[in-house]
Amino acid sequence: MPSALATIGIPENLQGVISRLDATLVPHDAREQFLARSFELRSGREKAGRFWKIDIDALDYSALNVATSVPVKLHVPENARAVVCDMQTALRTHRPIVERAAGSAVQPATSKFAALATALRNGGVFVYVPADAAVGGEIEITYEAVSGAIFPYTLVVLEAGAQCTVIERVTGSEDAFVCGITEIVTADNATVTYAVDQQLPADGRVLFTRAAKPGKDSRVNWAVSELGGQLSVTTVDVTVENSGVTADVAGIFFPRDEQHVDLISNIAHDVGNSFSETLVKSAATGRGQARYLGNIRIVQHAQGTEANLRDDALLLSKKAHIDSVPALEIAANDVKAYHGATVGAIDEEQIFYMTSRGIDRESAEKMIALGFFEPAIARFPSEALRQRLRTALEEKVRS
Amino acid sequence: MSDRGLRISGLRVNVAGNSILKGIDLEVEPGSVHALMGPNGSGKSTLAFSLTGHPNYEIESGSVTLDGQDVLQMAADKRAKAGLFLSFQYPAAIPGVKVANFLFAARQAVRPGTLTPTQFRALLMEKMELLDMDPGFLGRYLNDGFSGGEKKRLEMLQLAVLAPKYAILDETDSGLDVDALRAVGESVNALRNSEEGKDTGFLIITHYPRILQHITADVVHVMMDGRIVKQGDASLALRIEREGYDTIREEIGQLA
Repeated sequence: MPSALATIGIPENLQGVISRLDATLVPHDAREQFLARSFELRSGREKAGRFWKIDIDALDYSALNVATSVPVKLHVPENARAVVCDMQTALRTHRPIVERAAGSAVQPATSKFAALATALRNGGVFVYVPADAAVGGEIEITYEAVSGAIFPYTLVVLEAGAQCTVIERVTGSEDAFVCGITEIVTADNATVTYAVDQQLPADGRVLFTRAAKPGKDSRVNWAVSELGGQLSVTTVDVTVENSGVTADVAGIFFPRDEQHVDLISNIAHDVGNSFSETLVKSAATGRGQARYLGNIRIVQHAQGTEANLRDDALLLSKKAHIDSVPALEIAANDVKAYHGATVGAIDEEQIFYMTSRGIDRESAEKMIALGFFEPAIARFPSEALRQRLRTALEEKVRS
Repeated sequence: MSDRGLRISGLRVNVAGNSILKGIDLEVEPGSVHALMGPNGSGKSTLAFSLTGHPNYEIESGSVTLDGQDVLQMAADKRAKAGLFLSFQYPAAIPGVKVANFLFAARQAVRPGTLTPTQFRALLMEKMELLDMDPGFLGRYLNDGFSGGEKKRLEMLQLAVLAPKYAILDETDSGLDVDALRAVGESVNALRNSEEGKDTGFLIITHYPRILQHITADVVHVMMDGRIVKQGDASLALRIEREGYDTIREEIGQLA
């Protein structure tokens, strides 16, 4: 007799693996519910069409070999006043903090991929910065999808006045599959920068739900770079429920060949006197496809909000395509909101200017394209990371 | 060495189907300074862009040679490598590309392997001081958010750093205050007095003669309606300053 799960089209391999996954991360019955939920929910993403070829609601998971744990490397600056450990350890040593924070920014029952990531959670990392502690340098988390699909959960909790910078690297081998959640929760007056450097191999797939809920007068900086994989589907959210919050979102992506990137950022200003700045720079070449939807919502009573959104897309080949949509929904009247979006090829006047100085056309295009990303690269922490991004972009421009 | 010089003969150019240059003959010898004057819309900038290879300018007929090389067959970067330089009236802004990196790439392209990065830096510092430019300039993005005067200074810095064989200055003087104008003049004269630039020939496009108070022109050409209608020595510029272009226009009319 087919189980209830099989009847809604859940591949057997996903259903079957649950009993082998760590019940302390997520109990088995909850996993089954989240798995069913994930297959009931729709992603809310655009369907496949003339340019975009992948149906995100009908991804094929049947060949996935789900790992029973997540290979992860951690680097913590010396003398950092912070707890940085794997999620299983955190559940033993800091369970009340994990339970208090988890679920405050991401509601897995309402999001297709967050539900999937919860159902199959097989590891993750906990970062905790106590009150008034400032971690100098960067905490580095490297997720490695090298032996099976990984479903990591990263929880970053900052107490009042705490500060830290986290760099998450997503790496993997052939056929890598990563479906994860990042959740950032802060008390008042905290500052957190969370950077993502996703450089999976060309056939990798990555689905990420990332969300932050900052406390009063706190600052959250997201800097997300999606340069690898054949498919990258990411949501970056900041829920502003406390006044004095500053939210900064920077995004970089660059599909080439047959790569598909789908990025959505959501900034919800639910209170006034809060600030946000979104900057997304993207390019596409070959048959690269990308979609960006930048949502800014300012509710009626969120007076005194300032929100800026800028997204620029550069098309470097005739078959590349980028849909770039800034969507501002503003119900308050005393706000400053700005958005600007551009999509186009490199300006011929820029090319002429550079070639008139002896620089050949190809080098000129390369310099202009790399320069185009610089304002967004500047938002990423650490010169080493910025240099890594430049190198990856240079490689993409060249081919 | 009889073929040395930037030689333009019978050059006819159209832009989007409109005939703009109607047969230009002009020769700039090495080390000489030619001024090209004329009212707005006479075709001066079209000549500058046509010489440097802007894709929007269609050459109908005529020839341009640079020390004997056929310029019109070359792409813009090849023309620069051959020794041609244009100081843009409105240089493009290129966000994300730092001035220092751009200048080094340009120098390497035009004069490969002649300076180490350290020597290049020293050269830059020297030239920037001459132009009264702050070293902070080098870290800024190319022309991005620059004032008009800053853009012109950066054009002059490129002239100094690239030391071309032939330099076309397209209204480099327009919109400049007295000090900036003097800096431009000094920069051109410093290049002419340098080892690298002693043979540089100049074509200075302007509609005001005031820049010629700082740089002495050997020949002054007056352009109207796509043709060179009059040539003379430096005194012609002074006459234009006194009388404007109207009396020249009348003279031409009487001749026609």
